[in-house]
Amino acid sequence: MGAVTDDEVIRKRLLIDGDGAGDDRKINLLLKSFTKWCNSPGTPEEGFTQYQRMLGTLAQCEFSMGKTLMVYDMNLREMENYEKIYTDIEQNITSAHEKITECKKEIQRAKRIRKNRQEYDALAKVIQQHPDRHETLKQLEALDKELQQLSQIKENVDAKMELRKKQFHVLLSTIQELQQTLDNDEKSDNDDNNQGSPAGNDE
Amino acid sequence: MSSRMGPVELLHMTVFSQSFSPCGRYLAAGNNYGEIALFSLSAALSPEATRLSQKPVLTFTAHEGPVFCLLSTDCQLLSAGNGEVSAWSWAELIKKNVKPVWTKRPNYKSSLEIPEINAMIINPRDNSLVIGGGDNNIHILDLENGVFKAVLQGHSDYVHCVSVREREAEILSGGEDGAVRMWDSRTNQCVHCIELYKYESCARPQYGKWISCLTTDSDWMLCGGGPSLSLWHLRSLSPTSVFPLKGSQRQATFHQDLILTVGEGPYVSHCLLGGDVKAQIPCTPQSLNTLQLNTNSTEHRVLTVGGTSNRIDVFTNLSYRAFSLSF
Repeated sequence: MGAVTDDEVIRKRLLIDGDGAGDDRKINLLLKSFTKWCNSPGTPEEGFTQYQRMLGTLAQCEFSMGKTLMVYDMNLREMENYEKIYTDIEQNITSAHEKITECKKEIQRAKRIRKNRQEYDALAKVIQQHPDRHETLKQLEALDKELQQLSQIKENVDAKMELRKKQFHVLLSTIQELQQTLDNDEKSDNDDNNQGSPAGNDE
Repeated sequence: MSSRMGPVELLHMTVFSQSFSPCGRYLAAGNNYGEIALFSLSAALSPEATRLSQKPVLTFTAHEGPVFCLLSTDCQLLSAGNGEVSAWSWAELIKKNVKPVWTKRPNYKSSLEIPEINAMIINPRDNSLVIGGGDNNIHILDLENGVFKAVLQGHSDYVHCVSVREREAEILSGGEDGAVRMWDSRTNQCVHCIELYKYESCARPQYGKWISCLTTDSDWMLCGGGPSLSLWHLRSLSPTSVFPLKGSQRQATFHQDLILTVGEGPYVSHCLLGGDVKAQIPCTPQSLNTLQLNTNSTEHRVLTVGGTSNRIDVFTNLSYRAFSLSF
């Protein structure tokens, strides 16, 4: 595309300027008029006017040359400026890319953290439903104490039972012994009586 | 290679299962006519994708009955149909060679009725395949030597879904009888049994007690179906959150800090672990059966869902449906 426009430009310029650019033509004309002036046989006033005219043309040529030089400088500086902007934008793009990757990593971290937090919350909900550990420990202690007391009471009652049993046992065995002794005595009394009467009959 | 499906058959098609290839560039989907279709994700996701790239690159009939589940190992595609499991080599499928590497059938007690296989999952600890089927049992197939090494009995009705808890070497299974059972994979004994319908917070007696959706990430478990989808803490075996979703959920998965779930209803639900439903993204099929995330590839990280339609929705960004693949 650059080549095409170059051709177009060259063609246009050739069409417009004839035998060179407008400034080139001016210089050629100046040279022509200079040689004509050098070789002209005219009056000194005509010569002077022609000389002034040539100075004017020369000044014009110098002026347009100065202008072209300035335009050239300007173009150079414009190019530099554009180069600078181009490199700036490239840097911005790379830093934006980096920031994007950083942010993506951040997002992954944040998602993991959120997941962990939600898991904690879910478990916490379940844990809340269960009663407090202190409460349960206290209840356990109270129950323990009750249990101890009750076993104490049981022991006491058992001991009493034993004692009573033993006492009853003693009482019953004493009664039995007494009964036996009485029986024995009765028997021996009867025997004595029986023995006594036959002896009495004999006398 | 595409099947000659009339418009009526397309209308009645249901996609039951999906699986991504190990390289992450292909998606295999199984439907109720026993066919498996292979879609090229790289073609469908490229900037020059056309309508044609959303059609399968290969469709073949894999089983006589519906293909209820598909699973990929690092080189094979396992598919389960009417009572049998077939293995296909991914490399061969990509070259359009549709000969199965092997086909096996677990030992079913009754030979009259062939029970269907509802769910399969790989137990990476000992490289075995856990198969949950319609005969109320879980069969374990050792993939190294191709022998069925154990049968886990305990469910009183057919098994809908299985999952593996890797850290503790446990297998979880959920079934029609409403029980979620946890089996120790080393001793093959049932260690826990949770009956969801007995918990008031989750139970929905109007839907039933069946469990159709089960997934776990070793500490937590998501399960639902008849009862509401709920999040359980496995160490304490207690339900921590119940999700207020209408309809029963068919598949759920943990993704970063969210729970993605699909089921009855033409949307993908995004939920937070606390029990809130963050968003419901509309999809094409009226009711969804399967949801898969492509974790095998970094450049084709998509979510695909399929259900009661011949279209499979593809999400490049979780918040909206990008386009659909169609059978």
